[in-house]
Amino acid sequence: MSRQRLAIDVGGTFVDFVSLDEETGEIRIEKSPSFGSLEARFFEGIDSLALDLTALKTIIHGSTMVINTIVQEKGARVGLITTKGFRDVLELGRGNREEIYNLFYRPPAPLVERYLRLEVSERLDARGEIVKPLDEREARAAVQELKAEAVEGIAVVFLHSYVNPVHEERMRELVEAAWPEVAVSISSEICREWREFERSSTTVLNAYTKPKLARYLSAIGNALARRRFGGTLSIMQSSGGITSLRAAREGPIRTIASGPAGGVIGAAALGRQLGAGNLVAADVGGTTFDVALITNGKPLEQTEHRINRRPVLQPTIDIVSIGAGGGSIAWLDDSGGLRIGPRSVEADPGPACFDMGGKEATVTDAQLLLGYLDPDYYLGERLRLNRNRAELAIHERVAAPLELSLLDAAAGIVHLANMNMAYAIRNITIERGYDPREFSLVCYGGGGGLFAGFLLNELGVASAIIPMNPATFSAWGLLNADYREDYAQTCLRSFDDLSAEELKEELDSLESEVRRRFARNGLATDEAALAFHAAMRYHGQEHTVKVPIFTGDLGADLSALRRRLDDYHEQAYSLRLPESAAEIVSLQASILGILGKPVLKPVAAENGQPAIKGKRDIVVRGYAGEMRAAVHGRERMGSGAKVEGPAIIEEWTSTALILPDQQAAVDAYGNLIIKRAQP
Amino acid sequence: MSKIDPITTQVIRNALKAAADEMMISLIKTAHNPLIYEVQDFGLAITNHRGEMLAEGSGLPGFMGCLGPTVRSGIRELGADGFAAGDILLANEPFETGTHISDTAVYMPIFYEGKLVAFSALMAHWADIGGKTPGGWCPDTTDVHQEGLIFFHDKLVDAGALNQTFMRFILKNVRFPDLVHGDLNAMIAACRTGAKRYLALCERYGADTIQRAMDQVFDQSEAMMRAKIAEIPDGSYSARVFMDHDGVALDKPYKIAVTVDVLGDEMRIDWTGTAGAVSGPTNHPFIGTVAMSETVLKSLTMPHDPMNHGHTRPLTVTAPDNTAVSPLYPAPTDSYGYVAEMVVHLIVKALSDAIPDRCPAASYQMFGCVFYRMDPRHGEPFIFIEPLDGGGGAFPHADGPSGLVFVGNGNAPNTPTEVIEKRYPLRVLRHTFNLDGAGEGKYRGGFGVIREYEMLEDNILIQTMNENTIDRPWGLHGGGGAGLSRAIAWAGSEREEIITQRVYLYGPFDKGDIVTQISTGGGGWGDPADRDEALIQYDLRNGYVKPE
Repeated sequence: MSRQRLAIDVGGTFVDFVSLDEETGEIRIEKSPSFGSLEARFFEGIDSLALDLTALKTIIHGSTMVINTIVQEKGARVGLITTKGFRDVLELGRGNREEIYNLFYRPPAPLVERYLRLEVSERLDARGEIVKPLDEREARAAVQELKAEAVEGIAVVFLHSYVNPVHEERMRELVEAAWPEVAVSISSEICREWREFERSSTTVLNAYTKPKLARYLSAIGNALARRRFGGTLSIMQSSGGITSLRAAREGPIRTIASGPAGGVIGAAALGRQLGAGNLVAADVGGTTFDVALITNGKPLEQTEHRINRRPVLQPTIDIVSIGAGGGSIAWLDDSGGLRIGPRSVEADPGPACFDMGGKEATVTDAQLLLGYLDPDYYLGERLRLNRNRAELAIHERVAAPLELSLLDAAAGIVHLANMNMAYAIRNITIERGYDPREFSLVCYGGGGGLFAGFLLNELGVASAIIPMNPATFSAWGLLNADYREDYAQTCLRSFDDLSAEELKEELDSLESEVRRRFARNGLATDEAALAFHAAMRYHGQEHTVKVPIFTGDLGADLSALRRRLDDYHEQAYSLRLPESAAEIVSLQASILGILGKPVLKPVAAENGQPAIKGKRDIVVRGYAGEMRAAVHGRERMGSGAKVEGPAIIEEWTSTALILPDQQAAVDAYGNLIIKRAQP
Repeated sequence: MSKIDPITTQVIRNALKAAADEMMISLIKTAHNPLIYEVQDFGLAITNHRGEMLAEGSGLPGFMGCLGPTVRSGIRELGADGFAAGDILLANEPFETGTHISDTAVYMPIFYEGKLVAFSALMAHWADIGGKTPGGWCPDTTDVHQEGLIFFHDKLVDAGALNQTFMRFILKNVRFPDLVHGDLNAMIAACRTGAKRYLALCERYGADTIQRAMDQVFDQSEAMMRAKIAEIPDGSYSARVFMDHDGVALDKPYKIAVTVDVLGDEMRIDWTGTAGAVSGPTNHPFIGTVAMSETVLKSLTMPHDPMNHGHTRPLTVTAPDNTAVSPLYPAPTDSYGYVAEMVVHLIVKALSDAIPDRCPAASYQMFGCVFYRMDPRHGEPFIFIEPLDGGGGAFPHADGPSGLVFVGNGNAPNTPTEVIEKRYPLRVLRHTFNLDGAGEGKYRGGFGVIREYEMLEDNILIQTMNENTIDRPWGLHGGGGAGLSRAIAWAGSEREEIITQRVYLYGPFDKGDIVTQISTGGGGWGDPADRDEALIQYDLRNGYVKPE
């Protein structure tokens, strides 16, 4: 019997399927547009790969449903129950002006209107001691009021519940007793970290997305059961680890970055197998460009992120997303300067060259005019590109107003788009204390191959790697994930009067909680790995640095941990203050349930047969005139094959551009490695 | 000479913007002072060799506009040949740099192939500058020398060599020398980052190409700004307001007046009619007044265009000598922010007749409170500084935003209740909207904020520094004005006292005493009778207004 594993990555434009045969290492891919019913797409993909569901061991699912629900503001009607005197916290937020030049700045509207934000009498102090007991009469009345308003979900956030959840847990019991059908989310279950606005925002977002994700996952789960699927269905989380259906249903907020996380995990796995520990993972899609850093084989993580300007307290891979991709629109600003993005055309009508009614000039249109794309071989002939439409759009929107030739305008569009991406990568690396020249670039997503060469030159990275099947790489990445459960607890402690025994006690209690949650979510595996971190800072600071805690730290004193704060602070902020008082703000435990990983399969060696399909004239800004570029078929290139730029390498779902003075080589596993040619 | 092609021009423009951004990353990453890395109380820019702004980083808008004039002042003072490669200069004399002594400019000439080609410059609020109030923002100085150390284009680094004596002198004369030292190193590093990126650009395109490209960009930005100004109906538009008081003469409101003349594609902003320089520190140096005027013009006309010198050419700003918006040495300026904020609101008010759909009504302006206990005999000393958020003015197309910090405090967040209660002997009883005092209108003003504190220990003092204790945020086009900001001491007890003073120290408060801080809302826009039914229903449903 075959041991098949399947990854399904649902994106904004496509659903990608990658199956892996664990015995043979064989990988198969499928791609379908993500319109209409997602459930229908889900099973069409399975059918088109001719997979036997009864023999399938695992399905790993990356989904953008939660993030889309939030971005499009199409979530559930939610009621919020909170501490008396604080119903406006959700709307007050932190009061800061993110755009200081903007006379019309306003923060995002609260997802729960004020009349659905109800207060009940109760109060804890900062140590978690009860100052005023929960008024159960008021609590029951609040539930009845929200029931009368027919909300679909209830969020409960009480002050200081991160220290002591007693009132929130009692409130949940009261809700469940009075109204068992309603979905309830209590803040202390979702995050045990301080700051009431951020915790409210996180809890409300969870309640807001819960009904929709739960319906979808139940439908998929039921349909899989009907088709006698006997394996496990797992869901990708923002942290880069996967979890069970149950955990995702209860905590949809864990899955916000479910989509882009797969690619980053894939890049890290690829790097481990290629012996490259420091990588910039760059995912070029139609509308966004997502960048993450991998150092020493691990993606950088953060404990808090923002989605559509709303804060979320959940562990997540540190991914920076900018509006740049094939669909990015070229436009002229008030001063007549050419700008690219951040706005992009939607999948429908798409770039002008798709000939579906699009009038905007996009990066894809420019790439077509410059000869990078074959109008008859886009998405493996599934879409025919219309060169006249692209010419017209670029002429009207860019070339004519700037008095440029068509090709100069197109080359300018591509160049400025490249520079936007290069600045994004440069900023994320130096902001986090790294030098981009010490990294290699992994470029994936459908558009990755056309940008890799430019980014290689501009950033001075060592090499650019375009993996096999770059367009479905994020789905392949899902197959590399482990089970993961995180638990963080705010516990503000001055470092100087903290003993190793006290820290050990705290960590022990953290460990038992994270293990309890891990087991409850059904994630047990043969092999598990536990890791602890502390969010630490110098006295007087607001920002914290995430510092690992090792077992050896808990010896006689904590001086090793204290020195590690200096090292990590210096890495992040170029500053160390060994004499300064320090504090721990929160402790974090994560547990990994280790799963088997796909092993890269060697590809056949290059056999001397030419892979050249033809030749095309291309134009590259900075090089005079048109250049003759050989067009290679990637599937015909064996390991060891080498291509000198200028060249084009085409495959079904993606095209790569090798610039003059660059060389591309196929490695033993079929990855395309681009380097600057040695002078 | 041939024109530089538009793509190269744009690449250079973006690269300079990226260089300014990288200066900011460098500053934030290495500064020691939370005012810099958290409140972002700074501005950064790269100017050409004439001191004209090529690109700015983020930060407080007024600061960036002060950096060009600061560099130009340096060129006047030292001469164009008075700089050497590797120099780092300090300047903070407010009449030449635009704000107050605490905001010290650090800048660096950039040389390429032996020629002065540009400057990298920044201005940041120092942790201390040796004035009478720790950390700056003196509320009651009467001349500039009481406010701290004055620098006037002095070379801290001379041709690459640090002047140790000068550094020692600075550190001996400020209260938190370690912080100041760390910040100074961060500022120097940021200037050098800007220079490094500029030189990399010179290597790629040549200094001459960059200069010609940016001169073209200046011309384009100027042309577009002229076109935008030409869209504003010609006319003379005025506004005036009385400020509460200057911090020294407590019973004397003083006038700020502006006239905006639009003539074809040019704009003139004149401050004649403004009171003479005041006796206390609420004077706003003229360079700062010009910078804020430029900022407002750009916000009203081309908010999304990255700023450069060209945008400012069609604007002339004038004021008689020695007014509250053009004080002369030795006038005090340390609390300049009250006027800087009003300069913004007043220009918007004046122009609201000409371009009503682009001008919001007035917002609440400033509300700071400090809770503290210094004497260790009464308990552990602490200080908790918190600006209270308030209501924004109504927009011409929507209700004003509620509970935002005043414009001058930029991107600074409030302190969560859970953090306050963990750190200080205080309990927050309420943090909610102030539903009274938002201006009515077709679109109403945003709501102010109520934050009520119970003291958990004895002997706690409170200092408040407000505006809007006498003058109210105004409405526009028939919209109502907003209310006043207040504090209530010993709330709910027999001693209850309503605090209406602009600057006031009160207490001591003991365990169980309650103090309520209340900020006002923003002004309304348009006739309340025209208010949309859906908005009325929204307000009723949510209890934002009471049913009549």
